[in-house]
Order: sequence, then structure tokens, then C-alpha cells
Amino acid sequence: MVDISITVNDKLYKISINENMRLIDVLRDELGLIGTKEGCGEGECGACTVIMDGEIVNSCLVMGFQADGSSIVTIEGLEREGDLHPVQRAYIEAGAVQCGFCIPGMVLSTKALLDKNPNPSDEEIREGISGNLCRCTGYNKMLEATKKAMEYIKGE
Amino acid sequence: MKKRGIGVGVSFYGTGYGNGFPDISRAIVRLLPGGRVGIYCGVTEVGQGAKTAMIQIGAETLGLTEKDIDLIHEDTSLMPDSGTAAATRQTYNTGNAIKVACENMRKELFEKAKIELELNSTAGLVLENGEVVLSFFPQKRISFKRLSEIYKDEIIEAGGEFVAQTTTMDPETGQGAPYWPYTFNACAVEVEVDTNTGIVDLLRAVFAQDAGRAVNPHLLEGQMDGGFAMALGYALFEDLKLENGAMKNNKFSKYLIPTAMDMIDVEKIIIEDPENTAPYGAKGIGEPVMIPIAPAILNAIYNAIGIRITELPVTPENLMKAIREAEANKQN
Repeated sequence: MVDISITVNDKLYKISINENMRLIDVLRDELGLIGTKEGCGEGECGACTVIMDGEIVNSCLVMGFQADGSSIVTIEGLEREGDLHPVQRAYIEAGAVQCGFCIPGMVLSTKALLDKNPNPSDEEIREGISGNLCRCTGYNKMLEATKKAMEYIKGE
Repeated sequence: MKKRGIGVGVSFYGTGYGNGFPDISRAIVRLLPGGRVGIYCGVTEVGQGAKTAMIQIGAETLGLTEKDIDLIHEDTSLMPDSGTAAATRQTYNTGNAIKVACENMRKELFEKAKIELELNSTAGLVLENGEVVLSFFPQKRISFKRLSEIYKDEIIEAGGEFVAQTTTMDPETGQGAPYWPYTFNACAVEVEVDTNTGIVDLLRAVFAQDAGRAVNPHLLEGQMDGGFAMALGYALFEDLKLENGAMKNNKFSKYLIPTAMDMIDVEKIIIEDPENTAPYGAKGIGEPVMIPIAPAILNAIYNAIGIRITELPVTPENLMKAIREAEANKQN
């Protein structure tokens, strides 16, 4: 067992975990944050994307102990006082969600992109979400959603 | 050398199980406490938007908004069977079952309203925003909510069923009309082929899909984009390497599917040519949206470099091989 302290969605957790736990296991099994999805489990599909100290990571490829001292944002951390995050609202309005399995990771990649670059070009948006595989949507509605979210964020 | 070409693909697709196979959808509509309407139906939502489309069809038939309806689905203990979410059949088949069930429900509501409003007949009754109203004397009206209170011990409900009409093919000749109805589409793409690397880049795409009636144009566009992207992967990258029935490249690092960077903007055109046996004219488009894309890409490659590709996927390796073979044939 190893002790770690980890901030998840602005809440500090001091927990004892198995050395072989991945970050996704810590989030889902220890903290009950099951919004983060496991897809391929080997860093190819992006379904398990979370934001770690401002950078998107595949939580299946980060060991739990490596997250010690870090600050993590999961999909559960985007709502603000019961209101959806502008990226979440834009995804719904654009019809960018079909089966939904890639969506938590996709939304977080979109948020991380817009946090760093509030005015991405189409090419930059495509690149920003290119680590997240989606089999349903063909990505075009996600592009539309990201542009909507850019406007919402500017309007805030 | 980079060469550009344009190609077109067209397809027609028979929806439903077809070939005379029994293809049945059923639904039950029930008045719920508070005047809401429940549609109980085995329709399955897998991301294609069936839940939204089915609620829209029910709302249209009952003069309600989508918010007034609860769709209770995907729990076989609570609802009748509506077949599989397959064969591009839910919008047409299950949509029809829901429309029939809602029409039967309308009759039930009219019968109850006739009693409560002390009328001689149900003639002239209409449904309007959650109320049964006598059209020529609208002071005579009763809300679904009031009916649900009066009939709280007696469930007001109606069922509906749709059985698709298909015929078997002649087993000897393979002739016949196994599917009905059909849906149609066409796609045109422009590609750029790099004859030094074998890489095919998509530059532009226009895609027209006949839906009979677009129940939800937004969802329909999402399906078209999704079908295009899946077909793009099928045409250019996806190579299922089977050995003794097992897939050898069963990882996304070895079996590539398109990312957002591989996909392009698609100009989408929805064609509405209502099918008269369909619910409000609407036909399914789930599978057909994938079909004309690969032919369009292959035709565009032919237009660009004059080589017919007959095997998928057109990976850079496969394309370079085809180019070299063509060159060798020319020299002979």
C-alpha cells in the first residue's frame, strides 16, 4: 500500500492505495467517480481522459502513485452549482453525443484545449480531440460544439 | 506526384429484415398520473437517436410536446417486443407501431371524453396540447390530467402493432422483391492521391441522403457524419487481420479507425420524399449512410490516377503496390 494525497475536482483526498492501481482505478473504484470510462486500457482510445495539472492524460496509463500531489479534473468536476459547463451544454445543443461512451474524455479534451487556446482554428480543434476516438459521430458535430462552447465561454 | 480526382457513389438500401421474414414491432401507450403519457416499447437506444425520434412520433400523433411523454424502453419485463435495433428498421417499423398505438390511444381518450363531457359521439373531438377538445365548441374540453384523476383506478391504455410487408425471393432464380421500403443516397468526394507515398487525402465531400421524412434533421446529420467517418476508415485504413478465426490486430494501435484529424467537413443534403406506408413518411437511414462512401472514394482514386482498386482498404502500401503493378503492365 502507498499513501497519496490527490486533489480531485477541487476536493483533497488522502488515501491509501495498492501500488499497482492505475489512476483510473483510483478514480472509479476508490473515489466512486465512474464518469471516467475505460475503453481500450492501453492509451489508444482516450475514453479515460482526465485533466491532470492542466494537461490531458489517459488515466489508464498513469499509475495511482504517480498522481500523488496532483490536481485532477474529471467529468464530474465540470458542473458549476448544478449548471452544465459551457462545453457540456454545447455538446448537447450541437447533437455531438450519440452512444456517449467517448464523451466524458472528449468533453475534457475540448475543455483543456479551450483553457489553453480560447480561439482554436478548425485544424487545432481536430488536433485537440484527435486522441479521443469516437465511432458514432464522425467528429463534425463535436467541431460545431467546440465552436459553440468558444462563444459561450467568451460571453461569460 | 499529387493527383486529384472526383468520384461519385450511389446506393439504394432495403430496410427491415426482408425476404418474408416476420418483422413485427409493438407498443403500448398509457395515460400516467398527472396526465403524462407513457409509451412502452422495446425500442433500443444505441446512440442513433431512436429514443428522441420515437418520442417525437408519439408527440406528433397525440398533439403533445416531447416533454409530455415518457418513453419506457429497454426493459423486457415492462413492455412488448419491438424487434432488434438492426436492419435500419426502428424508425419505419417501430415508429409505425408507436403511431398506430397512439392513434388507438386517441380513440380511447375520445371515448372517455365523450362520457365525461356528456356528448353523443366522438365525432369532432381533437387533441390539443394535452386536452381533448370538441372542435366546433371548444368550451367542451377535458385535460389528460383530469382524465387521469377520474380514471385513476382504471388504466387508460391502447396497444399498437406494425407488421412489415415483405415477400420471399424465388429460391431457384433469386428473383423477387425482398425488401420494402428502400432508401436512397449519393455521395461525391474529391481526393488527392500522392503517387510517391500512396497516401489518399480527402479534400471535399457532398452527401445526400433520402430519409422519406427527417424526423429529426439534427440527428440525421449526425448519422450521416458518423456513417461517412466509418466508411472512410473502411475504405482507407481498417484491415481486419483474421487468422484461424481470431483477430490478430485487436488493438487500436494496430487496427486504425479515423480520428478527428482524418475526418473532413461533409456537406450534407437531406432529401425528403415521404414514403406513404411510413410514420409521417419517415424511413430509417442507420446503415445506408455508410454504403456509397467507399465507392465514391474508389471512383475518385480512379479519376485521379486511372487505376481501379478492387480490394479494401486502400492503405498506402496497397495503393503503391497497385501503382507499381499498373506501371509494370504498361511496360509489358
